Amino acid sequence: MIFKFEIKALPLLALLHRLNSRRHDFSFDLKSELLYLHLFLLLLLLPLPVMAGEISGYAEAKGFAYAERWPGRDNRGLGWGTLFTKWEEMLGETQFTASLRGEGITSGEQQGVLDFDPADRRLRRSPVSVRDLWLRIPLNSTHDLQLGRFQLGWGKTDGYSPADAFLPRDLTDPFADEKLPLWALRLNGYNGALRYEVVASPVTTPWRLPPLGSRNAPIHAGSFPSGTVFNEVASSPPDIGFAAVRLQSAFGDWEVGGWGRAGVRPAPLLEFRIDQAISTTTGFSIPVERRYAREEAVGIELSRIIGSWIVRGEGAALFSRDCDLGNALIGSLSAERGFGDGTFLITLAGNAISPPVDASQLFDRAILPAVIAAWNRTEEWGEWKLVWSAGLKHGDGMLKGEAGYNISDIWKLTLGGELPYGSEEGVYGALNTARRVHVALRRSW
Amino acid sequence: MYLTGKITKTLFLLALAALLATFSGLAFAADARALLKESESRHRTKTQQYAGELTVVNKEGKIRKKGWKSFREGYAGDAKNLIRFTDPPEVKGVGFLSVARPGAQNPDQWLYLPSMKRERRIATQDRDSSFVGTDFSYEDMEEFDHEKYKVELHGEQLVDSFPCYVIEAKPLEKKGKSTYEKKILFLRKDNLYLLREDLYRKGEKEPGKRMILSDLQQVGGHWVARKMEMKDLKKGSTTTVLLKEILFDKPQPVSRFTLQNLNREGGE
Repeated sequence: MIFKFEIKALPLLALLHRLNSRRHDFSFDLKSELLYLHLFLLLLLLPLPVMAGEISGYAEAKGFAYAERWPGRDNRGLGWGTLFTKWEEMLGETQFTASLRGEGITSGEQQGVLDFDPADRRLRRSPVSVRDLWLRIPLNSTHDLQLGRFQLGWGKTDGYSPADAFLPRDLTDPFADEKLPLWALRLNGYNGALRYEVVASPVTTPWRLPPLGSRNAPIHAGSFPSGTVFNEVASSPPDIGFAAVRLQSAFGDWEVGGWGRAGVRPAPLLEFRIDQAISTTTGFSIPVERRYAREEAVGIELSRIIGSWIVRGEGAALFSRDCDLGNALIGSLSAERGFGDGTFLITLAGNAISPPVDASQLFDRAILPAVIAAWNRTEEWGEWKLVWSAGLKHGDGMLKGEAGYNISDIWKLTLGGELPYGSEEGVYGALNTARRVHVALRRSW
Repeated sequence: MYLTGKITKTLFLLALAALLATFSGLAFAADARALLKESESRHRTKTQQYAGELTVVNKEGKIRKKGWKSFREGYAGDAKNLIRFTDPPEVKGVGFLSVARPGAQNPDQWLYLPSMKRERRIATQDRDSSFVGTDFSYEDMEEFDHEKYKVELHGEQLVDSFPCYVIEAKPLEKKGKSTYEKKILFLRKDNLYLLREDLYRKGEKEPGKRMILSDLQQVGGHWVARKMEMKDLKKGSTTTVLLKEILFDKPQPVSRFTLQNLNREGGE
């Protein structure tokens, strides 16, 4: 997701002279924080005797090489180290799962300080985060109650589903499409062919954005002199989250579903406080605040097996009284089929209502209208994946390819690249300078 | 007159031969069906579960290990299967559910991928695809139900030094679509246990795949092959499953074979 703004008139700026101080919020004592992080990560690796359940995880070293250096901020190379460990335990009939992720990113700007951020509500991702911490309690033979911190999945990977699109993502790496886990309570059950699910997330987990003005979130500052920076204010997201209900049923080759949700939309609305802009020695600094709108939504989904294809149609109506968000009528049509050891998925999605603001500011609907084609396949040596996403409004798009080679059952080497192209007016084209290739080595256990 | 009598006699003999051939064919078919019915009757169990240790060896000899837990309720035409991968980390948690549709065509099949957090339905035509990087296809994961096949006895043959009935089974299109044109089954004569299955893809004269069951043992009063091999004769690869911790007729939870259970992350 990209941000691009044309800011034309700023009469107050000339009067402002205070130096930008907000950026210091993200500075930290690197040495001591890294020491704590290393000690903590070492602790995670120890097979503690109390952990009688299953422990799995991986360690991964990833390197990125960008086609261009982003002026003044981002280097051409980036390193990313991850240590992930998961503990799964059956406590009688109750499933307990906990997982932790430790990370080190060579770009200090993309990573926050090591602090307690159990709900992922800080602006930047913490070097250590809880990915899972949940219990699933069977209430009876047909109903489960899950509570804690876990990830929801209501859509297709590499597709677009209006039921799933609003769920919070971490866009620190805008190409990764990483979902954030939620603190939530989920009751799911079934009665014959009918499946139902009720989810209540008592606290908002906001979308995490890349540093504004960086290569991953370029902002076109229009008439601003070069050197203008955007100062992200760490505003607190609302405490309440959202509630949702989902019903699904199968009738032979047909699957039918419906859902509804209400509450706080986790994607922020950005407010550029031009009235509080200040001039600095290098240009201007504009504070950017975030606010969160309430939204209600209902949707239907219908899928059917037609020959070799599974065809799925989804429609959703989203209502908001927020003047910047407005209403939306989103539809998607997708077709999926297996090819050998892989699948091909093509999705067409669009919003029938033009948003009041530039769609790129709305995150979960920024790419619309779009067509996405994804092809993945498992080979004897590993697997590969190709994704082509095209924005239909601005004629931009992105090609993404990745191949994973299984060196052994536990070692894997992955090579890949992302190639955004086209008009910088579009969300993909705006990432032109973020074209890159990457290589990763993972050791799983 | 003589000529007419000769023609009549020849026609009579031909008709008799045709009738005999037809009846003998029916007899073979009846024998094959009876054998398969008897085999199902002998080996039917209410439930079965085991832990499978898989070894996939490709043409170059590269070895990949996998592990799964398998649960079955019912048998043949009323079977429900759930498989959950336990190893390696790349596929851990992947689940597969197959539910027979009684009296109908192909079973319903779904695959659960932990990365997606939801299930994906397997279309009938996808059933030739490899099952999670093994030499089994989705269709191979179905229980064999002889009622969906036209069967015929093709004599006897030794398999692994055991005399076996050789039965040809051709899928009945009205009973479901198959990626195979025919299957040749080798049933051990003494206990009617399946020892080998040659699988012919459509339009092919040679078997494309071969399944071999060996290391037969009695567990809980039931015969079971502790070793199951699927050879892809075209690709030159083999998947071997060693069955461990086998249990028969253990009552399974009511919800075991449901989509809700398939979607249970970390569940069985």
